[in-house]
Amino acid sequence: MATSSLMISATASKIDANSQAATEACYHCGSPIPPGIELSLYIDGRERAMCCPGCRAVAQLICNKGLDQFYQQRTTYNEKPEEDHAGNVDDYRIYDDDEVLQTFSEVDTTGARVAYFLLGGISCAACTWLIERSLTRLPGVISANVNLQHSKLSVRYQPKHISVSEIFAEVNALGYRARPFQQRAQREQLAQDSRSELRRLGVAGLGMMQVGMFAIALHAGDIQGIESSHQGLLRWVSLLVASFVVIYASRPFFISAWRHLIRRTLVMDLPVSLAIGMAWLASIWATVTGSGQVYFDSVVMFTFFLLLGRFLERRARHLQDANWWQAQDALPDAVSVQREDSWVAIPRMQVNVGDRILVPAGATVPIDACVTAGESAVREDAFNGEYQPRTVVEGDTVFAGTINVENSLQARVVCTYRDSRLAELQRSVDRGQAQKPALARLADRVASWFIAAILLISIATWLVWHQLAPEQAFWIMLSVLVISCPCALALATPAALASAAGALRRNGIIIRSEDALESLSRSKHLIFDKTGTLTSAELVIDSVVTLDTFSEQQVLEIAAALQAHSRHPVSGAFNNLRMAKGMDQVSYHVGAGLQGELSGQTYRIGSESFCRTIALSLPYAPSTELYWVALCRVEKPLAWIGLRDRVRPEATSTVQQAMADGFCVELLTGDSSNNGALMAQELGLSHYACGLRPEQKMTHVETLQESGLVVTMVGDGLNDAPVLSLADVSFAVAGAADLASAQADFVLLRDDLNLICVAYKKARQCRRVMLQNISWALGYNICAIPLAAMGFVPPWLAAVGMSASSLLVVLNSLRLSRVSAETQWRPGHG
Amino acid sequence: MDSLYLLVPIALVFCAITIKLLLWAINNGQYDDMDKEAWRILADEETPSESEQPSSRPGPP
Repeated sequence: MATSSLMISATASKIDANSQAATEACYHCGSPIPPGIELSLYIDGRERAMCCPGCRAVAQLICNKGLDQFYQQRTTYNEKPEEDHAGNVDDYRIYDDDEVLQTFSEVDTTGARVAYFLLGGISCAACTWLIERSLTRLPGVISANVNLQHSKLSVRYQPKHISVSEIFAEVNALGYRARPFQQRAQREQLAQDSRSELRRLGVAGLGMMQVGMFAIALHAGDIQGIESSHQGLLRWVSLLVASFVVIYASRPFFISAWRHLIRRTLVMDLPVSLAIGMAWLASIWATVTGSGQVYFDSVVMFTFFLLLGRFLERRARHLQDANWWQAQDALPDAVSVQREDSWVAIPRMQVNVGDRILVPAGATVPIDACVTAGESAVREDAFNGEYQPRTVVEGDTVFAGTINVENSLQARVVCTYRDSRLAELQRSVDRGQAQKPALARLADRVASWFIAAILLISIATWLVWHQLAPEQAFWIMLSVLVISCPCALALATPAALASAAGALRRNGIIIRSEDALESLSRSKHLIFDKTGTLTSAELVIDSVVTLDTFSEQQVLEIAAALQAHSRHPVSGAFNNLRMAKGMDQVSYHVGAGLQGELSGQTYRIGSESFCRTIALSLPYAPSTELYWVALCRVEKPLAWIGLRDRVRPEATSTVQQAMADGFCVELLTGDSSNNGALMAQELGLSHYACGLRPEQKMTHVETLQESGLVVTMVGDGLNDAPVLSLADVSFAVAGAADLASAQADFVLLRDDLNLICVAYKKARQCRRVMLQNISWALGYNICAIPLAAMGFVPPWLAAVGMSASSLLVVLNSLRLSRVSAETQWRPGHG
Repeated sequence: MDSLYLLVPIALVFCAITIKLLLWAINNGQYDDMDKEAWRILADEETPSESEQPSSRPGPP
């Protein structure tokens, strides 16, 4: 494996490699290979195409470490590493600062330090293996442990031999994003919750085996006769074990039922608690008085199956729980601050209002600040979804979370993080979460009238038998209560949800919320964000209008040679184009364009006014709705180049499919240009709104919700996070901002919008299965209750009937876990 | 059948010990990440390094 070597295809074999690459996805991250890229790496016996130098660097590092079997083991594609990603230790020196280090690490008794990290980009168990393996090989690292479920890494290391910055560099070099993990309390809480759930399940399981054993003896005794002293003994020990199980393991049912009851809502936990509680108390009564029947085995089995169903359902959902991503995680931790005459990097939390900070080109603005020197452009898509940067000069305010695109800026900090616009965004997210309308769950709606029915029937039974045979009345009423025990009914939904979540996971969709599938199956209103969701966030060249004798090819070569010197989003459209050779003295004019010299001639590319200053005869831009860039020489306009958003290839089919499924599809975008309208037209959408701020999007969704609609929202960016948290159902597309993914109910792991339709189909199917389950469970109870009321059902038959009906419900739910062959997805097995 | 009076309590003691063990294992964090552990027992062990076992794999074409 270690022989894997890097190979960039030789020029001679380019065409072959190209045609093959065009049909292939990047071996590392799975995104389509852009035309003109010819990168590959020899992994696992074959040449593997790579989509960008970043992916190749990561893959090469993995191979060089001899860990390339990772690629056969993984079950999902890796995340595309960031463009300027590098395992450069110096970038992380800031974390070596004692004060910063304290916040996410601790010293254990042996003098070793344990540091906690939050990991971005880990998607399967193989990733944990890769990270653990490469970290433990570093000298000084004692142990490394990744918790996949919580995307968390803990590393024990000897501070004498290795610094925490080197650990950061190593993890980031592997293509994962490590951040200090600071919200310790929340993490502890989650770990505690999942442990106590498991403890309850284990205790219920072991108790079930014990009580079951005694129950067999008791049932056999009922049939062939048993000495009353032995029966007493077996009943007493059953009582002991069952009571422990009920008190220890069933507690959450009682607590939840009670909490909802005092808030005057009826949930499934109420009939469950009633059944467990009544059967348990009646059995205790029977044991103490030595009369009647005991139902300890039913009580314990019921508890176990319910806990199991819920445990499995939660486990399917909680995979990759990352709720603790916060808006401020998008900010850099190190900030260059002026101290006396020099710039020093200090942790962001130590920056004060009034400090002068330096924001290098390409970096994220760490804190709201007022520009004091320099001019540049900032991309504010975090707030408005618009990728066209805003030009800023001295005196303008730049906001935390925006990206400084052009030149480095000096700025004076104007407020603390708490008062920044980004913190405001985070507050909107929290507000959205709190305001999300609660949907009455199917199971709970059934529960409310089920309780009423069984209580009425039990009372009626008692009244009737009280007239006929008063001494039997109590026992027959109890057997009615036990037989009506809603075990199958209570299992009906968690079993179906767990099964469907598993199937979706294999399709590349993660479910993160409890009610998401149910809400989705009822949703009829689908809202898309534009930039990054329906379009990929980059521009492409749509058309070239030549104004001179230059051919289109020549124009593009000159343009590409100029644009290669810019970081402006527009320049992305010219990447991968052949460049004219010999362009020099390129200078950048903020908010205008670029100028350069080629074979003695001065060329300019950029805005209309910028080009017109040297070429007066430049005609107006064509009237087609595109983003037009002019190219000219002195006194000689050369061309207009039209750029547009690149619509995802599957966007049209997804929108059509959604409409065919009966959705009202809508487009909401923060982009204020008329691109939004164009796209709506192109996709055949009649509803759209452009230029919306995150709060306006939220208001729009709220209005829809107030009119009774169940709203599904698909988004990707930081600016979408608040509205995603508010919508009834939300999807985050592959590569979405962490904050957006953390708010979404569904996270798409694959770059394919059609998955939304797959999820919808599964949600409908899941709802059907849930209804089937519920009707079966109710049907069973309805048939059995009259028999019990007439006194015909012995306890063992009740127990068998209950188990059989639960089993049927589980088996029916398992049908959901089938994944159709066409949507099944497994990468990295070529 | 009087042995029941001895055997049943013994069974209970065993049950208590098992529960105790299980709770210890859970509190010890052994069940914290079931996905990873489930995957790990099936994953191949690390391949021997180059010096121990020269690879016979063909180089890139």
